[in-house]
Amino acid sequence: MSVLTPRARSVNGKHTQVAIYSMGGEISSEQAVRGAIQMHSKRVWRFGLALSGASDVADDLLQSTCLRALERHHQVTTYDRLDSWLMTICRSIWLNEVRARSVRKAQALSVTPEAELIASGPDAETNIFAAEVFTQVMQLPEAQRETVMLVFVEGYSYRETAALLEVPIGTIMSRLSNARQKLKNVMQHDAADAVRRSGK
Amino acid sequence: MKFSDETLKAYLEGNLDGDEANAIEEAVETDPDLEQRLMALDPFAPVVQAVFEHVPAKAPHVDLPEYRTAGAVQHGAGLWRLLAVAASVAIIAVSATFWATRPAPMGWAEQAAIYQSLYAPDTIAGLDNSPQALETQFALAEEQLGRSLKREALEALPGMELKRAQVLSFKGKPLVQVVFADEQGQPFAFCVIRQGEGAPNKGVKQAVLSGLATATWAQDGYGYMLIGSEAQTDLGGQLDLLTTTFAG
Repeated sequence: MSVLTPRARSVNGKHTQVAIYSMGGEISSEQAVRGAIQMHSKRVWRFGLALSGASDVADDLLQSTCLRALERHHQVTTYDRLDSWLMTICRSIWLNEVRARSVRKAQALSVTPEAELIASGPDAETNIFAAEVFTQVMQLPEAQRETVMLVFVEGYSYRETAALLEVPIGTIMSRLSNARQKLKNVMQHDAADAVRRSGK
Repeated sequence: MKFSDETLKAYLEGNLDGDEANAIEEAVETDPDLEQRLMALDPFAPVVQAVFEHVPAKAPHVDLPEYRTAGAVQHGAGLWRLLAVAASVAIIAVSATFWATRPAPMGWAEQAAIYQSLYAPDTIAGLDNSPQALETQFALAEEQLGRSLKREALEALPGMELKRAQVLSFKGKPLVQVVFADEQGQPFAFCVIRQGEGAPNKGVKQAVLSGLATATWAQDGYGYMLIGSEAQTDLGGQLDLLTTTFAG
Protein backbone atom coordinates (compact mmCIF):
# COMPACT_ATOMS: atom_id res chain seq x y z
CA MET A 1 0.00 0.00 0.00
CA SER A 2 1.21 3.43 -0.73
CA VAL A 3 -0.98 5.27 1.72
CA LEU A 4 1.96 6.55 3.67
CA THR A 5 4.36 7.15 0.86
CA PRO A 6 6.69 9.89 2.03
CA ARG A 7 5.10 13.17 1.11
CA ALA A 8 8.35 14.81 1.21
CA ARG A 9 11.40 14.54 -0.84
CA SER A 10 14.77 15.42 0.30
CA VAL A 11 18.12 14.99 -0.87
CA ASN A 12 21.36 13.77 -1.12
CA GLY A 13 22.31 16.79 -3.09
CA LYS A 14 26.03 16.48 -3.24
CA HIS A 15 26.02 13.32 -5.17
CA THR A 16 23.54 14.60 -7.67
CA GLN A 17 25.38 17.80 -8.31
CA VAL A 18 28.48 15.85 -9.10
CA ALA A 19 26.46 13.84 -11.57
CA ILE A 20 25.24 17.01 -13.22
CA TYR A 21 28.62 18.45 -13.82
CA SER A 22 30.28 15.26 -14.84
CA MET A 23 27.56 13.85 -17.06
CA GLY A 24 25.41 16.73 -18.20
CA GLY A 25 28.03 19.35 -18.77
CA GLU A 26 26.40 22.74 -19.11
CA ILE A 27 22.68 22.42 -18.69
CA SER A 28 20.73 25.15 -20.37
CA SER A 29 17.72 26.69 -18.69
CA GLU A 30 15.60 25.25 -21.49
CA GLN A 31 16.80 21.75 -20.69
CA ALA A 32 16.12 22.36 -17.02
CA VAL A 33 12.59 23.54 -17.76
CA ARG A 34 11.95 20.56 -20.04
CA GLY A 35 13.18 18.26 -17.30
CA ALA A 36 10.95 19.94 -14.74
CA ILE A 37 7.93 19.62 -17.04
CA GLN A 38 8.58 15.93 -17.49
CA MET A 39 9.07 15.48 -13.77
CA HIS A 40 6.15 17.50 -12.48
CA SER A 41 3.46 17.16 -15.14
CA LYS A 42 1.27 15.06 -12.85
CA ARG A 43 1.46 17.60 -10.03
CA VAL A 44 0.66 20.50 -12.32
CA TRP A 45 -2.27 18.58 -13.81
CA ARG A 46 -3.56 17.77 -10.33
CA PHE A 47 -3.26 21.40 -9.33
CA GLY A 48 -5.13 22.34 -12.52
CA LEU A 49 -7.85 19.90 -11.49
CA ALA A 50 -8.02 21.43 -8.02
CA LEU A 51 -8.30 24.92 -9.49
CA SER A 52 -10.81 24.15 -12.20
CA GLY A 53 -12.65 21.08 -10.95
CA ALA A 54 -12.65 19.56 -14.43
CA SER A 55 -10.19 17.18 -16.01
CA ASP A 56 -10.44 18.61 -19.52
CA VAL A 57 -9.65 22.07 -18.16
CA ALA A 58 -6.74 20.52 -16.22
CA ASP A 59 -5.44 19.09 -19.55
CA ASP A 60 -5.56 22.56 -21.12
CA LEU A 61 -4.02 24.24 -18.10
CA LEU A 62 -1.12 21.79 -18.07
CA GLN A 63 -0.49 22.27 -21.78
CA SER A 64 -0.60 26.08 -21.53
CA THR A 65 1.56 26.06 -18.42
CA CYS A 66 4.27 24.00 -20.10
CA LEU A 67 4.34 26.14 -23.22
CA ARG A 68 4.44 29.31 -21.15
CA ALA A 69 7.23 27.91 -18.97
CA LEU A 70 9.24 26.99 -22.04
CA GLU A 71 8.78 30.47 -23.53
CA ARG A 72 10.09 31.91 -20.28
CA HIS A 73 12.94 29.51 -19.65
CA HIS A 74 15.45 32.34 -19.89
CA GLN A 75 13.89 33.86 -16.76
CA VAL A 76 15.02 30.84 -14.76
CA THR A 77 18.06 31.68 -12.72
CA THR A 78 18.09 28.72 -10.38
CA TYR A 79 16.94 25.19 -11.05
CA ASP A 80 15.82 24.86 -7.49
CA ARG A 81 12.06 24.73 -6.99
CA LEU A 82 11.04 24.72 -10.61
CA ASP A 83 7.98 22.82 -9.39
CA SER A 84 6.60 25.84 -7.50
CA TRP A 85 7.44 28.03 -10.48
CA LEU A 86 5.31 25.76 -12.71
CA MET A 87 2.49 25.83 -10.14
CA THR A 88 2.61 29.62 -10.06
CA ILE A 89 2.40 29.82 -13.85
CA CYS A 90 -0.49 27.36 -13.88
CA ARG A 91 -2.41 29.38 -11.32
CA SER A 92 -1.79 32.65 -13.08
CA ILE A 93 -3.07 31.23 -16.38
CA TRP A 94 -6.12 29.91 -14.56
CA LEU A 95 -6.88 33.22 -12.85
CA ASN A 96 -6.19 35.49 -15.79
CA GLU A 97 -7.17 33.51 -18.84
CA VAL A 98 -9.27 30.43 -18.15
CA ARG A 99 -11.31 30.88 -15.02
CA ALA A 100 -14.01 33.20 -16.32
CA ARG A 101 -15.00 30.87 -19.12
CA SER A 102 -14.63 27.65 -17.12
CA VAL A 103 -16.41 28.39 -13.90
CA ARG A 104 -19.89 27.43 -15.00
CA LYS A 105 -18.66 24.16 -16.38
CA ALA A 106 -16.54 23.48 -13.30
CA GLN A 107 -19.50 23.93 -11.00
CA ALA A 108 -21.42 21.37 -12.96
CA LEU A 109 -18.60 18.84 -12.91
CA SER A 110 -17.04 19.26 -9.53
CA VAL A 111 -19.96 17.75 -7.69
CA THR A 112 -19.50 14.42 -9.44
CA PRO A 113 -16.15 12.77 -8.98
CA GLU A 114 -14.91 11.45 -12.26
CA ALA A 115 -14.75 7.79 -11.46
CA GLU A 116 -11.72 7.03 -13.58
CA LEU A 117 -9.70 9.61 -11.69
CA ILE A 118 -9.88 7.77 -8.43
CA ALA A 119 -7.22 5.19 -7.84
CA SER A 120 -8.76 1.80 -7.30
CA GLY A 121 -8.14 0.47 -3.84
CA PRO A 122 -8.07 -3.10 -2.62
CA ASP A 123 -11.80 -3.31 -1.93
CA ALA A 124 -15.12 -1.63 -2.60
CA GLU A 125 -15.31 0.06 0.81
CA THR A 126 -11.92 1.68 0.31
CA ASN A 127 -13.04 2.90 -3.10
CA ILE A 128 -16.26 4.34 -1.73
CA PHE A 129 -14.32 6.13 0.98
CA ALA A 130 -11.80 7.45 -1.56
CA ALA A 131 -14.65 8.70 -3.73
CA GLU A 132 -16.20 10.47 -0.73
CA VAL A 133 -12.94 12.16 0.19
CA PHE A 134 -12.37 13.10 -3.45
CA THR A 135 -15.86 14.60 -3.72
CA GLN A 136 -15.56 16.45 -0.45
CA VAL A 137 -12.22 18.00 -1.45
CA MET A 138 -13.55 18.98 -4.87
CA GLN A 139 -16.61 20.58 -3.27
CA LEU A 140 -14.53 22.85 -1.06
CA PRO A 141 -14.48 26.51 -2.08
CA GLU A 142 -11.72 27.18 -4.58
CA ALA A 143 -9.39 28.92 -2.10
CA GLN A 144 -9.58 26.01 0.34
CA ARG A 145 -9.29 23.48 -2.44
CA GLU A 146 -6.06 24.88 -3.88
CA THR A 147 -4.61 25.17 -0.37
CA VAL A 148 -5.53 21.59 0.55
CA MET A 149 -4.00 20.36 -2.70
CA LEU A 150 -0.70 22.17 -2.17
CA VAL A 151 -0.29 21.31 1.51
CA PHE A 152 -1.92 17.90 1.95
CA VAL A 153 -1.24 16.36 -1.44
CA GLU A 154 1.92 18.02 -2.72
CA GLY A 155 3.52 18.46 0.70
CA TYR A 156 4.37 22.16 0.47
CA SER A 157 4.80 23.80 3.86
CA TYR A 158 2.34 26.47 5.02
CA ARG A 159 5.06 29.04 4.36
CA GLU A 160 5.77 27.82 0.83
CA THR A 161 2.06 27.67 0.08
CA ALA A 162 1.54 31.19 1.41
CA ALA A 163 4.30 32.44 -0.90
CA LEU A 164 2.91 30.54 -3.88
CA LEU A 165 -0.64 31.81 -3.37
CA GLU A 166 0.51 35.26 -2.25
CA VAL A 167 -1.48 35.33 0.98
CA PRO A 168 -0.37 35.52 4.65
CA ILE A 169 0.49 32.26 6.38
CA GLY A 170 -2.43 32.82 8.79
CA THR A 171 -4.81 32.69 5.82
CA ILE A 172 -3.34 29.33 4.78
CA MET A 173 -3.91 27.99 8.29
CA SER A 174 -7.48 29.21 8.53
CA ARG A 175 -8.30 27.81 5.08
CA LEU A 176 -6.94 24.46 6.20
CA SER A 177 -8.94 24.61 9.45
CA ASN A 178 -12.12 25.26 7.53
CA ALA A 179 -11.37 22.47 5.09
CA ARG A 180 -10.64 20.04 7.95
CA GLN A 181 -14.04 20.80 9.49
CA LYS A 182 -15.72 19.73 6.26
CA LEU A 183 -13.52 16.69 5.70
CA LYS A 184 -14.10 15.60 9.28
CA ASN A 185 -17.69 14.64 8.51
CA VAL A 186 -16.66 12.17 5.82
CA MET A 187 -13.87 10.70 7.89
CA GLN A 188 -15.88 10.35 11.08
CA HIS A 189 -18.57 8.64 9.10
CA ASP A 190 -15.97 6.24 7.78
CA ALA A 191 -14.48 5.66 11.22
CA ALA A 192 -17.96 4.91 12.56
CA ASP A 193 -18.43 2.39 9.76
CA ALA A 194 -15.15 0.73 10.63
CA VAL A 195 -16.17 0.43 14.28
CA ARG A 196 -19.52 -1.02 13.30
CA ARG A 197 -17.89 -3.55 11.00
CA SER A 198 -15.35 -4.64 13.55
CA GLY A 199 -18.12 -5.04 16.13
CA LYS A 200 -19.95 -7.60 14.00
CA MET B 1 5.13 29.33 23.93
CA LYS B 2 5.38 25.54 23.97
CA PHE B 3 2.45 23.52 22.73
CA SER B 4 2.07 19.84 23.54
CA ASP B 5 1.31 17.31 20.80
CA GLU B 6 -2.12 16.86 22.39
CA THR B 7 -2.85 20.57 22.05
CA LEU B 8 -1.69 20.56 18.44
CA LYS B 9 -3.84 17.52 17.64
CA ALA B 10 -6.83 19.20 19.27
CA TYR B 11 -6.16 22.25 17.09
CA LEU B 12 -5.93 20.12 13.94
CA GLU B 13 -9.18 18.37 14.81
CA GLY B 14 -10.90 21.71 15.39
CA ASN B 15 -11.38 21.12 19.10
CA LEU B 16 -9.63 24.18 20.51
CA ASP B 17 -11.41 27.40 21.34
CA GLY B 18 -10.75 30.53 19.34
CA ASP B 19 -8.09 32.05 21.60
CA GLU B 20 -6.01 28.91 21.82
CA ALA B 21 -6.28 28.34 18.08
CA ASN B 22 -5.22 31.94 17.43
CA ALA B 23 -2.23 31.51 19.72
CA ILE B 24 -1.04 28.54 17.67
CA GLU B 25 -1.62 30.29 14.35
CA GLU B 26 0.30 33.33 15.50
CA ALA B 27 3.17 31.23 16.83
CA VAL B 28 3.50 29.37 13.51
CA GLU B 29 4.25 32.63 11.71
CA THR B 30 7.61 32.85 13.41
CA ASP B 31 8.26 29.21 14.25
CA PRO B 32 9.02 26.84 11.36
CA ASP B 33 9.58 23.95 13.78
CA LEU B 34 6.05 24.32 15.10
CA GLU B 35 4.85 24.39 11.48
CA GLN B 36 6.66 21.11 10.78
CA ARG B 37 5.17 19.51 13.90
CA LEU B 38 1.68 20.56 12.91
CA MET B 39 2.16 19.23 9.39
CA ALA B 40 3.45 15.92 10.71
CA LEU B 41 0.56 15.52 13.17
CA ASP B 42 -2.17 16.45 10.71
CA PRO B 43 -4.48 13.41 10.47
CA PHE B 44 -6.14 14.70 7.30
CA ALA B 45 -3.09 15.15 5.11
CA PRO B 46 -2.16 11.45 4.62
CA VAL B 47 -5.76 10.49 3.88
CA VAL B 48 -6.25 13.19 1.27
CA GLN B 49 -2.84 12.53 -0.17
CA ALA B 50 -3.55 8.81 -0.57
CA VAL B 51 -6.71 9.62 -2.52
CA PHE B 52 -5.11 12.13 -4.87
CA GLU B 53 -1.64 10.63 -5.16
CA HIS B 54 -2.46 8.52 -8.19
CA VAL B 55 -4.59 11.17 -9.89
CA PRO B 56 -4.07 11.17 -12.81
CA ALA B 57 -3.22 7.48 -13.14
CA LYS B 58 -0.87 8.02 -16.08
CA ALA B 59 1.48 10.88 -16.76
CA PRO B 60 -0.57 13.40 -18.71
CA HIS B 61 0.40 14.11 -22.28
CA VAL B 62 2.10 17.41 -23.07
CA ASP B 63 2.90 18.63 -26.57
CA LEU B 64 6.11 20.60 -26.60
CA PRO B 65 7.96 22.10 -29.54
CA GLU B 66 11.07 20.14 -30.36
CA TYR B 67 14.29 20.95 -28.66
CA ARG B 68 16.71 22.90 -30.83
CA THR B 69 20.30 22.76 -29.79
CA ALA B 70 22.29 25.91 -30.17
CA GLY B 71 24.78 25.60 -32.99
CA ALA B 72 24.97 22.97 -35.69
CA VAL B 73 25.03 19.37 -34.69
CA GLN B 74 27.89 17.65 -36.41
CA HIS B 75 27.00 14.88 -38.75
CA GLY B 76 27.60 11.55 -37.10
CA ALA B 77 27.78 13.10 -33.68
CA GLY B 78 24.04 13.74 -33.78
CA LEU B 79 22.99 10.63 -31.93
CA TRP B 80 25.53 11.19 -29.19
CA ARG B 81 24.44 14.74 -28.88
CA LEU B 82 20.84 13.65 -28.53
CA LEU B 83 21.79 11.04 -25.97
CA ALA B 84 23.73 13.64 -24.01
CA VAL B 85 20.73 15.94 -24.08
CA ALA B 86 18.44 13.12 -23.01
CA ALA B 87 20.80 12.18 -20.22
CA SER B 88 21.13 15.71 -18.95
CA VAL B 89 17.39 16.29 -19.09
CA ALA B 90 16.92 13.09 -17.14
CA ILE B 91 19.52 14.10 -14.63
CA ILE B 92 18.21 17.59 -14.12
CA ALA B 93 14.72 16.19 -13.73
CA VAL B 94 15.88 13.76 -11.09
CA SER B 95 17.92 16.43 -9.38
CA ALA B 96 15.05 18.92 -9.44
CA THR B 97 13.17 16.48 -7.27
CA PHE B 98 16.21 15.78 -5.12
CA TRP B 99 16.72 19.44 -4.52
CA ALA B 100 13.19 20.16 -3.49
CA THR B 101 13.63 20.77 0.20
CA ARG B 102 11.24 18.64 2.12
CA PRO B 103 11.46 17.22 5.64
CA ALA B 104 11.58 13.41 5.31
CA PRO B 105 14.56 11.84 3.54
CA MET B 106 13.77 9.67 0.58
CA GLY B 107 14.95 6.09 0.55
CA TRP B 108 17.01 4.44 -2.15
CA ALA B 109 13.98 2.66 -3.58
CA GLU B 110 12.06 5.92 -4.12
CA GLN B 111 15.04 7.50 -5.81
CA ALA B 112 15.68 4.44 -7.97
CA ALA B 113 12.02 4.50 -9.01
CA ILE B 114 12.22 8.17 -9.97
CA TYR B 115 15.30 7.48 -12.04
CA GLN B 116 13.71 4.44 -13.67
CA SER B 117 10.51 6.37 -14.43
CA LEU B 118 12.51 8.44 -16.91
CA TYR B 119 13.36 5.35 -18.96
CA ALA B 120 11.55 4.91 -22.24
CA PRO B 121 11.86 2.07 -24.77
CA ASP B 122 14.28 4.27 -26.73
CA THR B 123 16.54 4.58 -23.70
CA ILE B 124 17.39 0.91 -23.88
CA ALA B 125 16.79 0.10 -27.54
CA GLY B 126 20.24 1.13 -28.66
CA LEU B 127 22.32 -0.22 -25.79
CA ASP B 128 25.23 -2.48 -26.66
CA ASN B 129 24.39 -5.73 -24.94
CA SER B 130 26.97 -7.88 -26.64
CA PRO B 131 28.43 -10.62 -24.40
CA GLN B 132 31.69 -8.63 -24.15
CA ALA B 133 29.94 -5.45 -23.07
CA LEU B 134 27.87 -7.29 -20.47
CA GLU B 135 30.95 -9.14 -19.27
CA THR B 136 32.72 -5.86 -18.52
CA GLN B 137 29.66 -4.27 -16.93
CA PHE B 138 28.94 -7.24 -14.70
CA ALA B 139 32.56 -7.53 -13.61
CA LEU B 140 32.56 -3.88 -12.56
CA ALA B 141 29.15 -4.10 -10.89
CA GLU B 142 30.00 -7.27 -8.99
CA GLU B 143 33.27 -5.79 -7.82
CA GLN B 144 31.48 -2.70 -6.50
CA LEU B 145 28.77 -4.71 -4.80
CA GLY B 146 31.10 -7.37 -3.47
CA ARG B 147 28.82 -10.17 -4.56
CA SER B 148 27.75 -12.14 -7.61
CA LEU B 149 24.83 -10.85 -9.66
CA LYS B 150 24.12 -14.36 -10.99
CA ARG B 151 24.13 -13.26 -14.58
CA GLU B 152 23.04 -16.67 -15.89
CA ALA B 153 19.88 -16.48 -13.78
CA LEU B 154 19.19 -12.94 -14.97
CA GLU B 155 19.71 -13.90 -18.60
CA ALA B 156 17.31 -16.79 -18.13
CA LEU B 157 14.42 -14.62 -16.91
CA PRO B 158 11.49 -15.49 -19.16
CA GLY B 159 10.48 -12.83 -21.66
CA MET B 160 13.32 -10.50 -20.67
CA GLU B 161 16.31 -9.44 -22.71
CA LEU B 162 19.26 -8.36 -20.59
CA LYS B 163 20.39 -4.90 -21.72
CA ARG B 164 22.88 -3.44 -19.29
CA ALA B 165 24.28 -3.44 -15.78
CA GLN B 166 25.13 0.02 -14.54
CA VAL B 167 26.85 1.11 -11.34
CA LEU B 168 25.08 3.95 -9.54
CA SER B 169 25.44 5.12 -5.99
CA PHE B 170 23.09 6.14 -3.20
CA LYS B 171 24.53 7.98 -0.19
CA GLY B 172 27.90 6.47 -0.86
CA LYS B 173 26.55 2.93 -1.18
CA PRO B 174 27.03 1.09 -4.45
CA LEU B 175 23.73 0.60 -6.25
CA VAL B 176 23.60 -1.53 -9.37
CA GLN B 177 20.79 -1.18 -11.87
CA VAL B 178 20.35 -4.11 -14.26
CA VAL B 179 18.01 -3.12 -17.04
CA PHE B 180 16.04 -5.45 -19.32
CA ALA B 181 13.70 -5.03 -22.26
CA ASP B 182 10.47 -6.98 -22.00
CA GLU B 183 8.79 -8.55 -25.04
CA GLN B 184 7.33 -5.17 -26.02
CA GLY B 185 10.70 -3.45 -25.61
CA GLN B 186 9.57 -1.75 -22.40
CA PRO B 187 12.24 -1.15 -19.76
CA PHE B 188 12.28 -3.38 -16.70
CA ALA B 189 14.86 -3.04 -13.95
CA PHE B 190 16.38 -5.08 -11.17
CA CYS B 191 18.41 -3.09 -8.65
CA VAL B 192 20.73 -4.25 -5.89
CA ILE B 193 22.24 -2.00 -3.23
CA ARG B 194 24.88 -2.94 -0.69
CA GLN B 195 23.44 -1.75 2.61
CA GLY B 196 26.13 -3.19 4.81
CA GLU B 197 26.17 -5.80 7.51
CA GLY B 198 23.57 -5.30 10.17
CA ALA B 199 20.97 -3.87 7.79
CA PRO B 200 17.65 -5.48 8.71
CA ASN B 201 16.14 -8.20 6.54
CA LYS B 202 12.83 -7.20 5.04
CA GLY B 203 10.14 -9.29 3.39
CA VAL B 204 8.87 -8.54 -0.10
CA LYS B 205 6.86 -5.34 -0.27
CA GLN B 206 5.08 -4.21 -3.41
CA ALA B 207 4.21 -0.59 -4.03
CA VAL B 208 3.66 1.84 -6.87
CA LEU B 209 6.47 4.40 -6.79
CA SER B 210 6.75 7.25 -9.29
CA GLY B 211 3.99 5.59 -11.27
CA LEU B 212 5.82 2.25 -11.59
CA ALA B 213 5.04 -1.11 -10.04
CA THR B 214 7.89 -2.04 -7.70
CA ALA B 215 8.81 -4.80 -5.29
CA THR B 216 11.53 -4.45 -2.67
CA TRP B 217 13.11 -6.78 -0.17
CA ALA B 218 16.32 -6.94 1.83
CA GLN B 219 18.45 -9.78 2.99
CA ASP B 220 21.89 -10.25 4.46
CA GLY B 221 23.05 -6.70 4.00
CA TYR B 222 21.72 -6.20 0.47
CA GLY B 223 18.56 -4.46 -0.69
CA TYR B 224 16.79 -5.63 -3.85
CA MET B 225 14.23 -3.99 -6.05
CA LEU B 226 12.23 -4.85 -9.15
CA ILE B 227 10.74 -2.03 -11.20
CA GLY B 228 8.16 -2.55 -13.93
CA SER B 229 7.48 -0.26 -16.87
CA GLU B 230 4.18 1.03 -15.49
CA ALA B 231 1.95 0.97 -12.42
CA GLN B 232 0.06 -2.09 -13.65
CA THR B 233 3.08 -4.24 -14.54
CA ASP B 234 2.69 -7.74 -13.08
CA LEU B 235 5.98 -8.50 -11.36
CA GLY B 236 4.83 -11.91 -10.10
CA GLY B 237 6.83 -14.36 -12.23
CA GLN B 238 10.14 -12.48 -12.13
CA LEU B 239 9.68 -11.72 -8.46
CA ASP B 240 9.35 -15.39 -7.54
CA LEU B 241 12.43 -16.32 -9.56
CA LEU B 242 14.55 -13.48 -8.25
CA THR B 243 13.58 -13.81 -4.59
CA THR B 244 14.57 -17.46 -4.86
CA THR B 245 17.80 -16.69 -6.71
CA PHE B 246 18.80 -13.91 -4.33
CA ALA B 247 17.73 -15.47 -1.07
CA GLY B 248 20.96 -14.86 0.76
